[in-house]
Amino acid sequence: MKKIIFLGCLSSSRYKDTCENAIKIIKFLDNEYQVLENPPCCGALAHQIAPIEEIRDHVKLVNNWLKDNDVNKLITICAGCYNYLTRYYPKYLGTDFNVKVMHLLQLMNEPENLKKLNLKYPGKKLKIYYHDACHLRNAENPIIDEPRNIINSIEGNIFLGEMENTKINSLCCGAGGGVYSIFKENSDFSSKLIFDQMRMPKALLTACPFCYNSFIRIKEENNIKTPVIKFEDFILKLMEGVDPISV
Amino acid sequence: MSERGKELYNEIKDKLEELKNENSAYAQFNEIWKMACAIKYKSYDLRYLYEDTSREFVDEHRDHLIKMKEDFVENLDEYVDKCIKRMESTNHFRVYLVKTNQEAQRIFMEELGDNKVIYKSKSLEAKDAGIMDTLKKNNITIKETDLGDVFCQLLEYDYPSFTLGPGIQFTPEEIVAKIKEKYGVEVEPEAEAIVNYFRNTYRKELLKDVKVSLTSANAISAQDGSIVLVENEGNISIITRATEKHIVVAGIQRIVPSVFDALLCAKIQERIINVDGAYISFISSPSNTSDVQGHRVFGMYGAKEVVVILVDDWRMKAVKENLFYKDMLKCIGCKSCDLVCTASRAFGNIYASKYGIGAINIVRDYIHNGIEAAVADGLFLCTGCENCTNWCPTGVDVAEMIRQLKRIATKEGFCPPTLEQYKEKIFREKNPFN
Repeated sequence: MKKIIFLGCLSSSRYKDTCENAIKIIKFLDNEYQVLENPPCCGALAHQIAPIEEIRDHVKLVNNWLKDNDVNKLITICAGCYNYLTRYYPKYLGTDFNVKVMHLLQLMNEPENLKKLNLKYPGKKLKIYYHDACHLRNAENPIIDEPRNIINSIEGNIFLGEMENTKINSLCCGAGGGVYSIFKENSDFSSKLIFDQMRMPKALLTACPFCYNSFIRIKEENNIKTPVIKFEDFILKLMEGVDPISV
Repeated sequence: MSERGKELYNEIKDKLEELKNENSAYAQFNEIWKMACAIKYKSYDLRYLYEDTSREFVDEHRDHLIKMKEDFVENLDEYVDKCIKRMESTNHFRVYLVKTNQEAQRIFMEELGDNKVIYKSKSLEAKDAGIMDTLKKNNITIKETDLGDVFCQLLEYDYPSFTLGPGIQFTPEEIVAKIKEKYGVEVEPEAEAIVNYFRNTYRKELLKDVKVSLTSANAISAQDGSIVLVENEGNISIITRATEKHIVVAGIQRIVPSVFDALLCAKIQERIINVDGAYISFISSPSNTSDVQGHRVFGMYGAKEVVVILVDDWRMKAVKENLFYKDMLKCIGCKSCDLVCTASRAFGNIYASKYGIGAINIVRDYIHNGIEAAVADGLFLCTGCENCTNWCPTGVDVAEMIRQLKRIATKEGFCPPTLEQYKEKIFREKNPFN
């Protein structure tokens, strides 16, 4: 039986550094996890528009890939993969889907792992915000408390701010469902509103590569100073004793 | 993407372009809507009007509501039969169960008789049945009574709006200017003054002139055949009492098993928008008295007749053929899906159909007018965030209905090319971003 790291299509194509960071964290926590060659995309984006038969075929193909590789545990770093694999794979495959799927945030939040990570922030006062991605907070098993627990476990002068719309009420970045490729106007509005809801932030953390994509563009277009940092990048810098908000 | 697809895509792009102009109808609506729903969304968890939060209230009843609606959809025929029996035998309503919208329109015109004016409130169901269009075609004067609708009519606003607060986009200045132009009366551009103006003029007319009134129903109880109506202005109370004939037009999905379920649906609708409904009416008979030696006479001070037109049209078919929009029968019209919708917040009445704003009304447009209509309503503006499904108090999978529409649209060649390329690359190359 294998435990694998499933990086997701967007991160593995565009954010190779983040993938490496995530792999380092996961391997530090559990050395049995490994990355397999040429993983297929989970298919979440196609789920929006493809005929059910084609979706079933693709989901089966991914499941066969998992079976062929004898996978029984999977860690993903993508919000889209997490929601799709935990909600829709069991729906389309029933009992034929036998993989335990976890998000990296859940792995890190396990008590023994928090202890092992032993995160410390030695720098001066740092107020950060975490944005709840739709596909994490709306998932069958929602991920809302985990990132907050992890941040609160960090020893040092670090504080977690909350936006006006937060946790289960948080705002979507406006870039999901492939809308980003056609109507950027939604992310123009929604991501900007998310920035506007932070008070004196030193950084915005996100655990979703799609949200990150949208935030970065809005930040640049609007000359916003607040750095946008992927959760795993932030954590790895803390582990390595590097200033976590340095770019 | 087909040629027609390109046209529809460009139409949406044009509307989004208009949104940038702050004087456009879309921008004016969006200005107030985006703030309203961000606040509402957040206020579900705030304890400022009630002892519990709206989310706690919904959560307390959600399991019951979901079960109740599932039971209703499974036993649709039975509940409709039971409801009609109660309405006819106990409540002395005249009831029509109509198979099609056309039949609903014909019967409505017959019931209207020689009357050329109709006073109305809550018309979504009548609109769904095509009755509003029929009235317009037949030159019947339609008098709105909900103040928001009165504003829309006064300012000849024909863009989609929020059914629970239509007219919310108008400024006091716009409203008083129109009153001056139309009635020659100077009114201060302030909320109190505007409300007073209508209270002093229109209220008198409503108390005196209404012969036939039209409403829908927030819920109908199969147990006792009661029509349940929630309102905050008192307009529904007036036009359903101070009238000769009260006509109720409702889709059969408004029926719920018990009188308590009907009350619960009404309360959920109140709580979702965090307002006090002020009045909830249970109408269980035309007005009557037995005070002359126990002889029951109908038509005392309230309505003399109550006529109920229950519309089937697409509904039983959806259940029998297990169509993907069957979940529409579970919808109680609370609008929570609109208030939490990412596309709605960003695009207001561009992500909308002629039936109103939001995803549910886009599905409605598809049912009546086909996939082209749904694409023109901004179907592909949906980000798939699934907030709608997550928040629905009765278990309607709105997100899945919208995805089904996107799938149908894609098959018909209406899918925007970039999205389709993602799909192709996922299936062909196993990665859309390579």
